Amino acid sequence: MHIPDGFLDYSVCAVTYAGSLLFWALSFRKARGNLTDRQVPLMATLTAMFFAVQMMNYPIIEGTTAHLLGGPIVALTLGPYAGMISMTIILMIQALFFGDGGITTLGANVWNMGVIGVFTPYLVFMAVTKIWKSEKGLLTGAFVGAFIGDVLAAMFAGLELGLSTIFPYSVLIAVTAMGIHHSVIGIGEGIVTAGVIKILQTSRPDLLQFSIIRPKMQQAAGRAGGT
Amino acid sequence: MYRNAVLIGIIVSLTFVITGTIWLSHSDETLDRVARQIGAKESPIWNPPMPNYELPGYEGKAIISVLVGFISAVFVLGVSLIVGRALRKGTNARGRDKFC
Repeated sequence: MHIPDGFLDYSVCAVTYAGSLLFWALSFRKARGNLTDRQVPLMATLTAMFFAVQMMNYPIIEGTTAHLLGGPIVALTLGPYAGMISMTIILMIQALFFGDGGITTLGANVWNMGVIGVFTPYLVFMAVTKIWKSEKGLLTGAFVGAFIGDVLAAMFAGLELGLSTIFPYSVLIAVTAMGIHHSVIGIGEGIVTAGVIKILQTSRPDLLQFSIIRPKMQQAAGRAGGT
Repeated sequence: MYRNAVLIGIIVSLTFVITGTIWLSHSDETLDRVARQIGAKESPIWNPPMPNYELPGYEGKAIISVLVGFISAVFVLGVSLIVGRALRKGTNARGRDKFC
């Protein structure tokens, strides 16, 4: 999903950079002074881990491959603001050192994977667990949030490509193709996210961002899970 | 907590790097496929020192790619620790209740 230099029109690059800059400013402002002593090494660990995870490509449809994003897990453990910063570190190092994603398209890649891929899972998760306050709700929220986050991030990439002149396809075709192809990896991301959240909820609930701001829901999930 | 988390991060990252380099390194994403079909070419404005996670002159050598991946993951861990510490500044007990 990393868009290289030359694939997007400069106008699309400018708009996505502006959007990402806005979220960078917001995220640094919101996250500053709010990371706990425990979350700092967790942030470093998850960032390094998902940098490595993004090196792994899984076969999806018609012989194509895709990789997990990691956005949903960082969002639910660190919160969306620190999570967005975490994803930005990954994307910047990938672009600068390995040419995985471009420099002019960094804003678009951060927008897709760092903003959409992080904030969407978090918001969906919070909405689902607000309605469904049980362990099933927790796992469903994690799965659905991760799935929608991945597919939406891919669809935004499709939108940016569809709006650019280098690709002869319409926005609709580009968005649909990217969405359908990445829905497969979205299912994988959903399963991994729900699994990791379940493990952390059972063993280290203190490490989950939502357990800090949703103590009642956490207690409900704990009771439902017999913990 | 601090040392354990970093150690776990290094071990897990190494596992993913090895798996990603040796078994799951084949990348042909939808975007790459479509770009190839329509003849769209990348036009990089920056020459990365290690394109495609490979050391120039050692392309295709798995052990070098694993080393590059591992060292890079440790580098990412270090950068994240520095950024995380900067964000931690001024943290107090109330900070945990905030949406971060």
